Amino acid sequence: MEAILQYLLTGLSVGSVYAMVGLGFYVMWSAAKAVNFNFGDIVMLGAVLTVVLMDVGVPLLPACLGAVAAAALLAAAIERGFVRPFNREANAIGWMLTTIAVGTMIESATTALFGSNPRRLETPLVEAPLRIGGSGIYPQELLLPVALLVVAVGLEFFYRRTITGRAMRAVAYNRTAAGLVGIDADRMTLLSFGLAGLLGALSGVLIGPVIQASATMGAIIGLKGFLVAIIAGIANARGVVIAGVLYGVSEKFIEAYLSTAARDAIGFSLMVLLLLLFPQGLFGKAEFKKV
Amino acid sequence: MAGRLWTVLARRTAMAAAVAGAVALPAAAQRAEPCIGISMEVTGPLANQGLMLRITLETALEKINAAGGVLGRPLRLVIYDDVGEPARAVDNARRIGERDNCVVMFGGARTPNAIALREPLAEMGLPWIGAISAGTAVIEHPNGKNEWMFRVSMKDRWVTGYLIDQAKARSASGKIGFVYEGTAWGQGALPDIEAAARRAGVTLAGRETFNIGDQDMSAQMIRLRDAGVDTIVLWAVDRESANMLRSMDRIGYRPKIVSAWGLTTAFARAVGPLAEGIMVAGTFNWNGPLSPEAQAAFDAMKAKFPDRIRTTADMEQPSAMANAWDAVHMLAEALKIAGAYDRTRLRDAFYRVNYTGLIADYRPAFIKGNQERHDAILAEHYKLQAFHNGMLMPIEATPYGMRN
Repeated sequence: MEAILQYLLTGLSVGSVYAMVGLGFYVMWSAAKAVNFNFGDIVMLGAVLTVVLMDVGVPLLPACLGAVAAAALLAAAIERGFVRPFNREANAIGWMLTTIAVGTMIESATTALFGSNPRRLETPLVEAPLRIGGSGIYPQELLLPVALLVVAVGLEFFYRRTITGRAMRAVAYNRTAAGLVGIDADRMTLLSFGLAGLLGALSGVLIGPVIQASATMGAIIGLKGFLVAIIAGIANARGVVIAGVLYGVSEKFIEAYLSTAARDAIGFSLMVLLLLLFPQGLFGKAEFKKV
Repeated sequence: MAGRLWTVLARRTAMAAAVAGAVALPAAAQRAEPCIGISMEVTGPLANQGLMLRITLETALEKINAAGGVLGRPLRLVIYDDVGEPARAVDNARRIGERDNCVVMFGGARTPNAIALREPLAEMGLPWIGAISAGTAVIEHPNGKNEWMFRVSMKDRWVTGYLIDQAKARSASGKIGFVYEGTAWGQGALPDIEAAARRAGVTLAGRETFNIGDQDMSAQMIRLRDAGVDTIVLWAVDRESANMLRSMDRIGYRPKIVSAWGLTTAFARAVGPLAEGIMVAGTFNWNGPLSPEAQAAFDAMKAKFPDRIRTTADMEQPSAMANAWDAVHMLAEALKIAGAYDRTRLRDAFYRVNYTGLIADYRPAFIKGNQERHDAILAEHYKLQAFHNGMLMPIEATPYGMRN
């Protein structure tokens, strides 16, 4: 029982990260029908820039805010420089290559400037684990599901109750029609990538103290965030949240009762199977066109 | 007249044969350049190991060249980045052997890369000397015909025996577990560990693996804890080991840990007090008392790289740096014995090197016809170290000091 609780707690924590990163993919896809394939690097930059800012004497909280803001700006810049110019035509796929290329450049530059060693992101919330029913979890890890909840509710509010959010939704529904009613679709797309960057960098800042900040920390997280977005149906935010948490928890139970080594193989096989059964994702809806 | 004709014909035939012979000579028998080519991770997850190698090699070569070089010529270093990928390492070896025509190749950190070089090096007749990659098969080739690869580093087959012995000596319950990364390096160690455990009369109470990049290993640690394992033999590098310690901390599991040398001082910086008491096998420690030669080596590195090396704690790869220091000096000795920048003569000269280095008295460094002894550092030279107050110290200088 104690072990099961442990798997639930750590699964909830890691699943929250996947879900938050998956939400980033959702935000990008909704606005541009394109994503930053190396979004994991934005996650990484959240943690790495926090460490860098703390190195130069910035206190923890301002360092976190500064890092998230800088990473969000970079994510927006990637949209402007590496997605928009390659996503003008219908069915354009050039952005796939350019985002992978820029991600590789970011990772190499980070290795060169930050070093390849993992670095400690010091917060008081990983000094000692909390004991819950015989299991243990760091307070920092408990922040992750809380942050996910706040982010999910905040996104819902933003999309439904703010003018900018509604404008983004309008662009997501029909880019051309949104333009006809005076919405600057390009600007909304830029903002969406910035917002996604904010989510990605925030997840990096929150998980960094637990797994250490390093130039390569975002690769797996980014991949799994994309995976849960696809499983859920990338256009369904609630589905992405549920799929992210479920995937994180199921990973822990696979590790515990099936195979540690084959965990990812099982997870990715599951994804393929689900996509065969539900081509639009678990929570996605098929698109109908009037003819 | 006929006699003169025959003489001319004979001379021309001899000249033609000489020219044809020269063309047919393998690259190995031709003169090479006084350069050491190295393929290592300049970028990638283990780039810090590449940096530490570069610091050591450049400092050692500066010292050798300041004393007049070797055979009257300065030795230079040519560095290629393999990003940790075997295919790139092979490509780099071709550049080093064929385009740069270096007399020798130096090895990087990764065992799979070194294994991928076995055939290309033999084809080119290019001697290789490694200071990190410890895989047994790097030196002990399956066909038993290693002629070109030499190593001044640890050997996994010997390390596993050493770690099992150390774990056995420290385990109160006798229940020892093995935790290893799911890479060629980690997977390759499993049969060696099992064989070493059998030899030592130890039954492994648990074998657990993990993937590169894994953030949580609670499941593995719960299984080991429930199996009663009180001592873990660890085969991993910094990042995943740090995540493993966090997982142990979560469930309140604190076994003794005896690790292969994948753990560096960067690991202690990453996990802070959780690293305290973790033991690591190595060949050398710069934080203990230093011989005059070792002190001079450290001072030279500090002077040449003042931004990176300020104290001995900055020697992030303590054993690898000492290995590389000894390796490059043995290489210089071998070149002097060879008497020429000639790869075949250099290869043969390695067997005649006797050298007193930082780590050992290598007499002889390597033994011809015995590929097991293409390893210069023997198991008897291994030393146990432990993390104490954030530093990797000789175990005698820590509170964990059962002597090895």
